[in-house]
This record gives sequence, C-alpha cells and structure tokens, in this order.
Amino acid sequence: MAAVDTAEHRGHKKGKKRKKARRIAIRIDMTPMVDVAFLLLTFFMLTTQMTKPQTMEINLPPSEASVEVAESNLLTVRALDNNAIYWNMGIELPQKTNFDGIKNIFRERYQANPKLIVLLKVDRKARYDLMVNIMDQLNQNGINRFSIASLLEADKTLLKKAG
Amino acid sequence: MPKFKKPRIPVKIDMTPMVDVAFLLLTFFMLTTQFRPPEAVEIILPSSHSEFKLPDVNIATVTIGKDGRIFLGFDSQRLMGDKDIFGEENKLKTGVEVPMNRLQDLLQTARRKNPKLATVIKGDKEADYGYAEDVMDILKKANITRFNLVTDYIPPTKQQ
Repeated sequence: MAAVDTAEHRGHKKGKKRKKARRIAIRIDMTPMVDVAFLLLTFFMLTTQMTKPQTMEINLPPSEASVEVAESNLLTVRALDNNAIYWNMGIELPQKTNFDGIKNIFRERYQANPKLIVLLKVDRKARYDLMVNIMDQLNQNGINRFSIASLLEADKTLLKKAG
Repeated sequence: MPKFKKPRIPVKIDMTPMVDVAFLLLTFFMLTTQFRPPEAVEIILPSSHSEFKLPDVNIATVTIGKDGRIFLGFDSQRLMGDKDIFGEENKLKTGVEVPMNRLQDLLQTARRKNPKLATVIKGDKEADYGYAEDVMDILKKANITRFNLVTDYIPPTKQQ
C-alpha cells in the first residue's frame, strides 16, 4: 500500500578511492499510520458539530414604561398548564383553543389588523416549551410587537367563567 | 476456440494523494473541533423556527434546569474568575448555580465589567414557565430588556 521507497542509488562513482558503500533500500510500511489517521479522521468528523444553537430575540418594554394600547389592537393570549390556550381581542370574553388553533388566529388577526399587539400571559405551572412555541408562532407570523405579562389569579377566574 | 490467456497486469495504485487528503481533513477537523465543556446540567432545548444564531463572544447564559435550578455562566474565563463574580476557583466552569436573589446583582456586576455582554436564557423544555418568568422579571429589574432565548432549530418543512 502506501510505502516510501528510497530508490537504491547505484549512481555514478564519485570518488574512486572511496569504498563503495552499499546502500540498503529502506522500505517503510505506512499502512498502520494511515489506518490510525483514518480512524482519527472518522472520529473527529463524527464528533464535530458545526451547528450553533439558534436563538430567539425578545425585546421587553422596561417595567416603568407604560404604553397606551388601543383596545381594538390588543390580542390577549392566555396559556394554562394543561396546554389550553385562551384568546380574546380587547375586552371580549376569552375563547378556548389549542396550539394549532392559535396559529390560525395569529395569522387571521394579523392580516386583518397589522397594528396588532399581542399580550402573552402564561401560567407559572405551564411548560416553558409552550411559551417558546407560542412566541415562535408570533415570530413566524411576523408579529414582533408583543409583550409578556404574568397570569394573575384574576385571569384564572376570568377563564373559569369563560369555560 | 482455445482459451485466450490474458496477460495479468500488476495493479499498483498510488495511495499517496488519498493519504494526503486524509491528513489534510484530519488536521482541519482536529483544529476546528471544540469539545463541549461539561455542562452543569443537561438541558433539552425547546425547538423553534428562528434562524438567528447565537453570538460567539460576550454572552452571559442564564440556564434554567428542569427542576428550576438557576445557573449563571459567562463565555470568558476572565469574567467567570472575577473576584466580584464567582472567584478564581470557578474560573474554568461554564456555569455556577446561583440563588434567584443574587442573580440580578451578579448580572449587573458582570455588565459593568463588560458592557457588551448579551444575555441569553437557556431554559429546559420541561421546566415550569414560572422559573423563566422569575428570571425575566430579574432581567427587567436589571434593565436588560433585550435578551435571547436559546432554542433548537427545526427546518420549516418539518412542522409539527
């Protein structure tokens, strides 16, 4: 296989007085080295991960600032720990939906009103995953005006009333 | 018809270029590989379609474990080993567990030392949202209103 040959010099006689040194042809078998090289190559190729994790950027308004929002532009989304999602525009009564439903609602409402502002309230006991998924849907629909608020007891009673 | 005997030509393939390329690749992979430092907790990231990449430098990572434990880590050893932050003995760690009430103070100290520091939240998928809410409250109090959530990327074709 891979081997280094040093060709035997049977060249011209340089010095006639010199004793003719017999060169021995050296043959190094490189196969084991190449084997190890390939092994390492495979190892590094398989362990390298080129992808860097992705991130989602959030911009929250500072806590002191209060922003007046027109009621008709406000979509409140409340998510509970049992993955139920309630949504309402302005001061309407919340309506129950699920994660697939909220995707369509975001799309429809944003198309109907590009000035839409979403207020996201997630229950403390809900999974972090749920909140990230909802925000992902907001980003995908191009809704970048949203805020996060905590889900209060008052919200829970309101949701109970809504059913 | 009598069998025609083909003269066998001895096949000798010169493997040298292949080995050269193999070594080149080996060197490349050896130099580019960064071994992931052992993490304080195993985090399963939530997935999203966001294509925004995490920056390489100047990041402070707030890790929220599955059980609600909070870890704070910086990407530079200088900040990790700072005597006002974690001290010399934690220099080589990637994250140190911090109680909720010290998080704000530590983040503000770190941001004073490195104003370019960007904050990212790395929450476990299974963690309760409540912990994340607390962390976000702390960030708001520390005047960090722009931060990132670390997620795994799922290509748009593979929608659930």
